[in-house]
Amino acid sequence: MSIITQAIANADREARYLSQGELNALRSFFEDGDQRLRIASILTANIEKIVEKGSEAFWQRCQITPSNSGNPTFRASCLRDQGWYVRLITYAIVVGDIDPIQTSGLKGAKEMYRSLEIPLRNVVECMRCLKDAALDLLTLEDRAEVGPYFDYLIQGMTP
Amino acid sequence: MQDAITTLINTSDTQGKYLDESSLNNLQDYFRSGELRARAAMTISANASTIVTRTTAKSLLYTDITAPGGNMYTCRRYAACVRDMDYFLRYATYAMLAGDPSILDERVLNGLRETYNSLGVPVGATVRAVQAMKEVTTEMLGADAGKEMGLYFDHICTGLS
Repeated sequence: MSIITQAIANADREARYLSQGELNALRSFFEDGDQRLRIASILTANIEKIVEKGSEAFWQRCQITPSNSGNPTFRASCLRDQGWYVRLITYAIVVGDIDPIQTSGLKGAKEMYRSLEIPLRNVVECMRCLKDAALDLLTLEDRAEVGPYFDYLIQGMTP
Repeated sequence: MQDAITTLINTSDTQGKYLDESSLNNLQDYFRSGELRARAAMTISANASTIVTRTTAKSLLYTDITAPGGNMYTCRRYAACVRDMDYFLRYATYAMLAGDPSILDERVLNGLRETYNSLGVPVGATVRAVQAMKEVTTEMLGADAGKEMGLYFDHICTGLS
């Protein structure tokens, strides 16, 4: 869902056109589009760097964790998952909604990590490190846009 | 229901793909056309009944379809036809705002041809009417917004035939 599909669904439920107010909300969403795309492209261009810095910090904070145990498969999976979470964050920024994080990133995630025997507390810590690494690349204004999406992810992953 | 943004995200997500240059450019085009879309939606919403009246006059009113034996004869069926025109216009407007035709497939076209066939509603005349509606809205909105609306009117026609 985006603010657009949401507004359309609401109007359709009442078999009417979108009101002036709803259209104005869409207008400002369109106007902010350039900022959101700019942030998404900064993050996308720097994914490797973000994941690298995020992992370094994470393994310092949580030294005993599967991905830091010397097992190359665990390590690679950890890096891959971090990249995926940053990807979902860029989707959320672009669409202006938490839906991509919720649907693809959080539904079932705790259960999955539990069954893989990866401590959730460490996953959360990893996401925090990822957040710091990502926000480091952004201006104050852009951080205010991106931070809440990471917070939502962290919140949703907290055991 | 999808819009230009969610379609792109869903496709990228299924492939595990990051938003590349071309996706970001597509989204930028969509965002930048937002003002045009919002303005067109406002105009259509304020003139919906005029558009439907003009469309009917242009394509249906003076043909055999409104005469005895035609599918728009009696008033009951005439009214049902006008109501459907109203629906087409409203859903095409939604799709134009979203920049994506999926809402037309889900809420209008799904089963419509079968319904029309079973009711004896001629598809040819319906398509002609939708094409007339395209012309009427283009006259009202101007070429740019008219072209965008045209995509979704054409989508309805393709889905019907």
